[in-house]
Amino acid sequence: MNDQWTNRLSEYVDGELDSTERATLEAHLATCGHCYATLGELRQVVARAQSLSNSEPESDLWPDIHARLTQDAARLTPGRRPGVSRRFSFSVPQLLAASIALVLLSGGGAWLALESRQSTPAPTVASAPRTRITREATWTGRTDVAIADLQTALTQNESRLDTATVRIVRQNLAIIDRAIADARIALQKDPGNAYLNLHLANTMRRKVELLRRVNDMAAARS
Amino acid sequence: MPRQVLEDTLTADSIAADSALAASGDATAFERLYRTHVARVHTLVRRMLDADEADDVTQDVFIRAWQKLSTFRGESAFGTWLHRLAVNVVLARRKSVGIERGRFINGPEPLEGVTSRPVTPELSIDFEEALSNLPEGARQVFVLHDVEGYRHEEIARMLGVVPGTSKSQLHHARMALRRHLDR
Repeated sequence: MNDQWTNRLSEYVDGELDSTERATLEAHLATCGHCYATLGELRQVVARAQSLSNSEPESDLWPDIHARLTQDAARLTPGRRPGVSRRFSFSVPQLLAASIALVLLSGGGAWLALESRQSTPAPTVASAPRTRITREATWTGRTDVAIADLQTALTQNESRLDTATVRIVRQNLAIIDRAIADARIALQKDPGNAYLNLHLANTMRRKVELLRRVNDMAAARS
Repeated sequence: MPRQVLEDTLTADSIAADSALAASGDATAFERLYRTHVARVHTLVRRMLDADEADDVTQDVFIRAWQKLSTFRGESAFGTWLHRLAVNVVLARRKSVGIERGRFINGPEPLEGVTSRPVTPELSIDFEEALSNLPEGARQVFVLHDVEGYRHEEIARMLGVVPGTSKSQLHHARMALRRHLDR
């Protein structure tokens, strides 16, 4: 059975009929059991489609992808990789956002790890970021706040680490901090410099990775 | 902040960071992006093309993403950008290999060859099987609209048809799936 309204049922399901058509169809549905039943089935199909889940490929595709990336890089002169040869399109705030995201990830990860240890009486490594991870704050503000928090947390947890490790960590942090400071000074003079932007982002990433490793190490020894 | 909200925030921020780092040439960051998004991309490709093409085309999507990362300005989520890129790669693939057969549904029973199964929530794999047996045009529209959430106007632009055709294809696909699954 099919009538003039059957082919409009999908539009009705999707809310695409105008008010007049919708009212007329609803009046029809009240008297046509076939269309009413079909409508329910169409809704079931839509619901099923929206509940489908994603699944991983059966084999890991990354080795082949990485090999192709490497081949591409080998064919191109250094610095001529498509996408890098052009002017970098991320702004300074975006790069700072990217960097601080990793800072927050490190802090949050450490916080999550330590918070789960109910027996730990000492101040948790990254309790401060818990209250400071807000969308309202500016990225640059979050950078300074989160770095300060992590460094404070590191100071609090240094007692869990051996002296040699603490000394090496401090030396490396000092080196990284000097590099970050230099990059920021240079960026004040040349905010649009693509190399400086990337250098700052990567330097901050190195700091994040160092802080993360040390905090994880401290958490493991609590 | 609730733990799940914090974890979601950290995940989103981590992806944003990795996309910026990958754009600078950091392959390790790009691998992390791959690990995060491969299931969604591979599933999209598998649903829109034949299953035996899914691995190759998924690789193409990520290669293309690597090459075009500099055009990603961070104005939308990386996943949204990557997903749209994947759709474009799929559609270009279909065009390049000249797959035009069955683009439009001409008959009322496009799923005659599909094995009948009862409809139960546990049998979503059967729904996937029925979906894979839809004619190409109806399958594309159904996946893009009902599974992926694109609007008819967007689908029409992507497929080079008018919105009315997209609506018609979608209705045919839903009716076909309904009839098959109802048996």
